[in-house]
Amino acid sequence: MLYPLFEWHGVGNGMLMAIIATYHILPCHLATGAFWITYVMERKAYQENDEGMLEFIKKYSLLVLIFCFVTGSLTGAGIWYAATLISPRAISGLIHNYVWGWATEWVFFLIEIVTIYTYYYTFGKISRKAHLRIGLIYAMSAWLSMVIITGILGFMLTPGKWSQTGLFFDGFFNPSYWPQLFVRTAFMFVVGGAYAAIVASFMKDPDIKSKAMKVAAKWGLGGLIVGGLFTVWYFTKIPATAKTIIFEDLAFTKTMFEIAIAAGVLLFIYFGIWGFMKSRTAGPIPAIIAMLVLFVGICAGETMREMARRPYLIPGYMYSNQMIAKDMKPKGVKNEVAKFNKEGVLKNYYFAPESVKEIDASNFMAAGRILTKLECISCHTVESTGFFSIPKLMVRFGASSPEEVHDFLDALSDYDYMPPFVGTEKEKRAMAAYIASLVNPNQKADPAWVLGK
Amino acid sequence: MNLAQVLNGLRDPMGVPFYPWFFQVLMVLTFALHIIFVNLAIGGSFMAVYEHYKKGENNKRLSRFLARSSTVNLSAAVVLGVAPLLFVQVVYDPFWYVSNLLSAWWAVGFLCFVTAAFLALYAFYLKRNPESGMKGFGFFGWLTFGLLLLAGFSMHLLSVQFLEPEKWKLWYLSGNIMNTSGTTVYDFRISRYLHFIIPSFAITGVFMMLYGWFFRQRQDMDKEYLHWVAVSGAKMALWATIIQIIIGFWWLFSLPKNLNFTSNAFLWIGVILGVIFFLVLMAAQKDPEKYAVLSALFAFLAVLGMAVSREVLRMVYLGKFNYSIYTYKLNIHWGSTALFLLTFVMGIIVMAYPLTVAWKLGRYGTTSKEGA
Ligand code: HEC
Repeated sequence: MLYPLFEWHGVGNGMLMAIIATYHILPCHLATGAFWITYVMERKAYQENDEGMLEFIKKYSLLVLIFCFVTGSLTGAGIWYAATLISPRAISGLIHNYVWGWATEWVFFLIEIVTIYTYYYTFGKISRKAHLRIGLIYAMSAWLSMVIITGILGFMLTPGKWSQTGLFFDGFFNPSYWPQLFVRTAFMFVVGGAYAAIVASFMKDPDIKSKAMKVAAKWGLGGLIVGGLFTVWYFTKIPATAKTIIFEDLAFTKTMFEIAIAAGVLLFIYFGIWGFMKSRTAGPIPAIIAMLVLFVGICAGETMREMARRPYLIPGYMYSNQMIAKDMKPKGVKNEVAKFNKEGVLKNYYFAPESVKEIDASNFMAAGRILTKLECISCHTVESTGFFSIPKLMVRFGASSPEEVHDFLDALSDYDYMPPFVGTEKEKRAMAAYIASLVNPNQKADPAWVLGK
Repeated sequence: MNLAQVLNGLRDPMGVPFYPWFFQVLMVLTFALHIIFVNLAIGGSFMAVYEHYKKGENNKRLSRFLARSSTVNLSAAVVLGVAPLLFVQVVYDPFWYVSNLLSAWWAVGFLCFVTAAFLALYAFYLKRNPESGMKGFGFFGWLTFGLLLLAGFSMHLLSVQFLEPEKWKLWYLSGNIMNTSGTTVYDFRISRYLHFIIPSFAITGVFMMLYGWFFRQRQDMDKEYLHWVAVSGAKMALWATIIQIIIGFWWLFSLPKNLNFTSNAFLWIGVILGVIFFLVLMAAQKDPEKYAVLSALFAFLAVLGMAVSREVLRMVYLGKFNYSIYTYKLNIHWGSTALFLLTFVMGIIVMAYPLTVAWKLGRYGTTSKEGA
């Protein structure tokens, strides 16, 4: 059964997810990657009895990390919220399969919050060994939380044997799991390196700065090279349609790919120059720019992964419009599309007004509006502004009359990235009539055509 | 389609991977823990600004301590809140999702309010300097408090609308139009809201008592100051609890008559735990340090009682629509359940280490045995 709808008018629901996910990415990666560096720097500082470095770590960097950890978990929950508002049935499906995965990740959050605050407040007050040990526990549990979430993220693109068995671990250890875990782990160290470069850039003593920059650059370069290789492996594991969508169908994702590559190259250059040639004079501005470049690169990569899932939210099971596309036999679920095509979507939609459930000459525009929102607004806006505006795209496509839009809806199933139209012929015509009126408000569809008389 | 069919139809067709009662127990337990830290963050940030504006040296010290501890408590509240948020979606998905969709911007707003509150709290904690008279940053303290109240308001309205499935369609539709904008607040219960906010002061009061008790053995801490904090905490906790009990009855009597709470044993247990907590606090007034741990224990039980009552009420409410979480379709998966349980036990063991270190350091000012 379908839920009520939420629309970010004129902007697009996709934007809501994009904003929250983007805001999530930086803190969550920092909270995971940067702590390794803090740990290594602290150990080095003890070996060299470098009080200045210790003071520095304690004073500035840790606060940042505490902040990252908290905003990271807030925006992480925010991704649930955004998913709830855009596609409640999909997040429900994910949660009902992976609740114990998320609950396991949550245990690592608990360890992280206890250790990060203990680490901060006991700095310099307990034995060095104990303090380092606590730091290591934090770094390990942050990484383990990634080990868990990667299983769920991978599942959303390559569900593997889950599609036949419906079993937790079949979906968790999916075909893209290991390459993705290695990619993420390698880039975790790149994030750590970029963060260490910022910390180093604020240091006064050029000797210490140079030493710290070199460490940062080694981690950064190493992570970039290894991560790059694993990315190649990753691309061999994702389905062919996903690659077609990314590299052939959509100009948008191709650009994202180029951005991600460019970000990698820029970081390579940054670490090369400031890590080895100018490490004594490295300033904060290039370091912060490098971090931002990294951030943009990660965003581009994550966007590609998200776009490649189309037209599904749970591959092979649920479309982006939240309708169940295929039977899920092991869990006793029947697909809805066949039923909706026969009986009509509106009749089966509790939250639609009673008055539109039977389409007639007086209500077909209202019915068309509801159907369009139900089937298209998870990816499009119905206004002329925002994320993938339907009227604009229709004009670009060259359809404006109800008949032309109807032909387009017929052909929807030919697209790799859009789900097919779901509903009866009458519903399809009602939707076409409504969409045609978005393209040209003066255009009135002929009721006789809509009703098929 | 009757409402019961609709509600069951909105459930996830793949079912739940373990028995619903187990998710329910976890949800109620983690909610109780979560709300305690929410209370500490709200009460703590309020008292931190309040004491900030007072003249005395002790007030300033207390303000500093509360501001600092509020940052930790707010973080804990966030992390602990993730668990009930997860579990509510497992067994009450139809209600939680519809309520969120109807007031979508309030759900998004909740995140913004908490994030902004966290920023404001850090600005208050780090940037104000009472000695040099930089009073300006006191504003950030008030801002934190206000934002937390707003965040509470958002969660509150989502939880109230959750309980009224019979009204969803009336709210959502006007004629042929669906209100998809997600900006409207459809329902709100002031008595219930206050019932979650007022305990902030009781819980924070107990927290102050614990503070006095915990640092009592430290040679480097001012005994007189600590005692003053414990006494003020005990007094505040007592008054807040009196107000809370009054509001509690107001709320209970404002419930629909047909719910008949007087015959529900769980609700009575909740009330009785609240009253016992009150009696412990009465006794604690004379020697708050001595009663600090006992008060904390009963505060926890009272909060747990409230969390259980809240859940029982929810079941009674939704029972009217023939909704019961216990009829949720099962697709039991032992492997992943075991994964969680084993990780959880491991987590407790791992966390014991940093917590012990922190405890020893705080209590004795050192972690080495000689200092103890
Ligand atoms: C899974 C998300 C998704 C859904 C659901 C979806 N679309 Fe699309 N649609 C896209 C993407 C992505 C594009 C490509 C945009 C671009 O090329 O810039 C697109 C392109 C289009 C285009 C332009 C096609 C072309 O060849 O130029 C039209 C028109 C369109 N969509 C209409 C619709 C309508 C009508 C619906 C509802 C029945 C719908 N879409 C549902 C994702 C979706």
